[in-house]
Amino acid sequence: MKKTPYVYLWLIYAFLYAPIVVVIVYSFNKARLSKDWRGFTWQWYESLFSNQPLIDSALNSLFLALCVACLATFLGTLAALCIHRYHFTGKRALQGSIYLLTISPDIVMGISLLILFVSVNIPLGFVSLLLGHVTMAMPFVTVTVLARLDSFDENLIEAARDLGASEAKSFLHVLLPLTMPGIAAGWLLSFTLSMDDVILSVFLCGPGFEVLPLEMYSLVLRSQPSINALSTIMFLMTLLLILLAQFLAHPRKKAKKP
Amino acid sequence: MKRALSLLTVLLLTALFLPPSVPALAAGKVIIYNWSEYIPDDVLEAFTKETGIEVVYTTYESNESMHDKLLIQKGRGYDLVCPSTYFIPQMIKEGLALKIDKKRIPNLKNVDPKLLNQEFDPDNRYSIPYMWGNYGLIFNSALVKNAVTSWNDLLRPEFKGKIMLYDDPRMTMGIALLATGASLNSTKESEIRAAYEFLLKLRDPKNVFDVTAAKNVMVNNHSVIGGIWNGDAQVAMDENSDLVYIYPKEGVPLWMDSFVIPSGADNVDNAYAFINFMLRPEMALRSVEEYRYSSPNLGTLELMDKKMRESRLLNPTADDLRNAVMLNGVGEAKALYDLYWEKFITDAK
Amino acid sequence: MLQNKGFRFFSITTVCIWLGVFALLPNMALFLVSFLDRTDTSFFIPVLTLDNYLRLFAPAFIRILLKSLALACVSTLTCLILGYPFAYLLARSNRRVRPWLFLLVIIPFWTNSLVRTYAIFTILQNNGVLNTLFNRLGLVEGNFSLMYTNFSVFMGLTYTLLPFMILPLYASIEKLNLRLLEAAKDLGAGPVRSFLHVTLPLTLPGIAAGSILVFLPSLSLFYVPEILGGINYRLLGSFIQYNFSKGANWPVGAAASTVLTLLLLLMAVFYRLAGRNEREGGAAALSAPGGQTAPARVERG
Repeated sequence: MKKTPYVYLWLIYAFLYAPIVVVIVYSFNKARLSKDWRGFTWQWYESLFSNQPLIDSALNSLFLALCVACLATFLGTLAALCIHRYHFTGKRALQGSIYLLTISPDIVMGISLLILFVSVNIPLGFVSLLLGHVTMAMPFVTVTVLARLDSFDENLIEAARDLGASEAKSFLHVLLPLTMPGIAAGWLLSFTLSMDDVILSVFLCGPGFEVLPLEMYSLVLRSQPSINALSTIMFLMTLLLILLAQFLAHPRKKAKKP
Repeated sequence: MKRALSLLTVLLLTALFLPPSVPALAAGKVIIYNWSEYIPDDVLEAFTKETGIEVVYTTYESNESMHDKLLIQKGRGYDLVCPSTYFIPQMIKEGLALKIDKKRIPNLKNVDPKLLNQEFDPDNRYSIPYMWGNYGLIFNSALVKNAVTSWNDLLRPEFKGKIMLYDDPRMTMGIALLATGASLNSTKESEIRAAYEFLLKLRDPKNVFDVTAAKNVMVNNHSVIGGIWNGDAQVAMDENSDLVYIYPKEGVPLWMDSFVIPSGADNVDNAYAFINFMLRPEMALRSVEEYRYSSPNLGTLELMDKKMRESRLLNPTADDLRNAVMLNGVGEAKALYDLYWEKFITDAK
Repeated sequence: MLQNKGFRFFSITTVCIWLGVFALLPNMALFLVSFLDRTDTSFFIPVLTLDNYLRLFAPAFIRILLKSLALACVSTLTCLILGYPFAYLLARSNRRVRPWLFLLVIIPFWTNSLVRTYAIFTILQNNGVLNTLFNRLGLVEGNFSLMYTNFSVFMGLTYTLLPFMILPLYASIEKLNLRLLEAAKDLGAGPVRSFLHVTLPLTLPGIAAGSILVFLPSLSLFYVPEILGGINYRLLGSFIQYNFSKGANWPVGAAASTVLTLLLLLMAVFYRLAGRNEREGGAAALSAPGGQTAPARVERG
């Protein structure tokens, strides 16, 4: 490949990364609101770790995201199996609505669920957030798992059955392991979706269960200096998660080449 | 593959065993819904340490959004909220506020009697003052040549596109009312319309209307003049020494935020304990030190250092406040404020 | 395989009930509320009215809608123009470095969008990085601010959403059969012609998916214009949020969201037309690019 086109690649990379780098650098700046450099400090990180409400909300979010990820992965995988394996009336409608949900704006989902919960008197809080986030994340799991299901050889399952594996056994030992990268990817995806969600949370959060994205939202609006530190931490965690995902997708060095 | 599976199992198990939050202590908890940046973390910690009551703390950025959440919940869920003066009559009317038993708040004796028994809640039957302050003009003396003395100075051509005001309907409509010679708590449609027309003259795409960005915008010279709460002004002035805060001659809006216990609160006892704790002079002082608003707590004056005591932002002189008016409920006229405010927001070019 | 009747019944009912209760039902309720009246103490009351839709014809709302559509179109186009050559180069890059280059796109894609919006804020602010840089280079004297302008909102949207354009494009370009291009060349087509007649049509599904993933969030991600634009730049999403969470008017907000839903359906039709043979949706296109199972993430407003 010639050199020149690469310049364009790196320009876009610079565009994508420069702002993030700036935030990381500023997280060590002494100045409170000003953007002048006023010396190095760890104080914003310290203030994060002494902020109990923030830590509580981070734990809440983590707990919520784990629950959401598990439930959404379960439901999403179930939906993918339905679509992949069975023929039933309304299958096309189901498939269509799942694809539609993946692009449906969060704000519409947020306000419509808010109306539902208010109408049937479900108090806002953990439960409303859980139901909302699962509904938001589940279609993505389905789509991810379906892509995986569509990509491998049907004959493997046939072969397993020919070799005398029972239905449960071939499910556990053939189908599930083959689909697992898709399922794991779906799990991670739901986890991040829940951890990042501001829009549904604005509408569905309730007393006593503050979540991290909303705390962050407030910090960003007030351009509190600790947001730089929090952003840096979030960025590093994302990095870690991606490397983990890569590791899951390619357990060994000699993973299949594209 | 095995690795992925076992990892997933581990994560699943963690999810099941991770507690949603710090385990509740024996004394129970108090669920507070308050403005962001309003009670220092160490004060909350001190409260838990002393009483064993766990504080669950959530925040809001506007009276309106707090009121909406409370209305959706029909007053249940939260144990303590902190609305501004003019929201209190509405909340009382809607049955969202619990009648307060003053005997249970002995520290109420520390509160300045001048700030009690206000028009929005006579005899403080539903609300206990937490913080108060004023809303004056801030400008950048390095970038503003001629003296600034009044709200009407905002109309000067040199400030076109360089103004910062809050996106708070009552506060911003309020200064427009003062500037046009009306009362801060006007209920007359003609006056409210005149105020709206005054604000329209300030409608420039480069002007900022944002309560949360206010400090930042002033410190970094995005705007050179604007209306601001005294506390925010002080924080901004600490960062940028060119900034000056004045009390405009047409009048100064006073604001106050008070603790209100929602009617459906589950932990009423703990809410009382918390209010009483916050009315201690030392605790009130911590909030003042951190956020630079004035405290209605007379006890804080003795504890303050000289610099703070003499700060005219924190403790304005009687002369500074000669034209000051407390923001009050406007009853039915609230609909007019909402109407003209929305018109103002959406009528952008 | 999985012909077990019990499992079949269980899985189909669970999925259908969940989607019925938490997706279909709320949307129907939302649509209903858009025809209801309200009072000061109730968010909606069972009195039918068309007023909410009539209010959408007020010049104020029309302005918001047009502004939102214009910004969304410009952002989508910019992402496409920036993203297409990038995705092309990426898909055609050296096989050994490609996974690493790809990883570099995935990282911002997964990074919290609030964090990235805030990052843009830091850059554009008065005295911000760009300001200082320009001063140092002697390009501009003194302070200037790009914040609270059409430009800052546009920058914010483009920056946050660019990866969502690149990934579907990459997926469809990567799948492109090189032999088709060679065939075109053998048949005498120049680079421009073979691009227009072979590459472009074959990557249309990617273009469609990417455009949807940028266009719809541009309309509805309310925090981007809120942080970078202030009230001068309230867009469709901000309007809905204002009506639903700041004591304004639920039914009017619901009516405005119907506009968004109509746009969504329009886009879905457009996508089906663009990629009839493409079974997987935009998200799926992202989920296994180049045989990697790097999980996809989709930003939605």
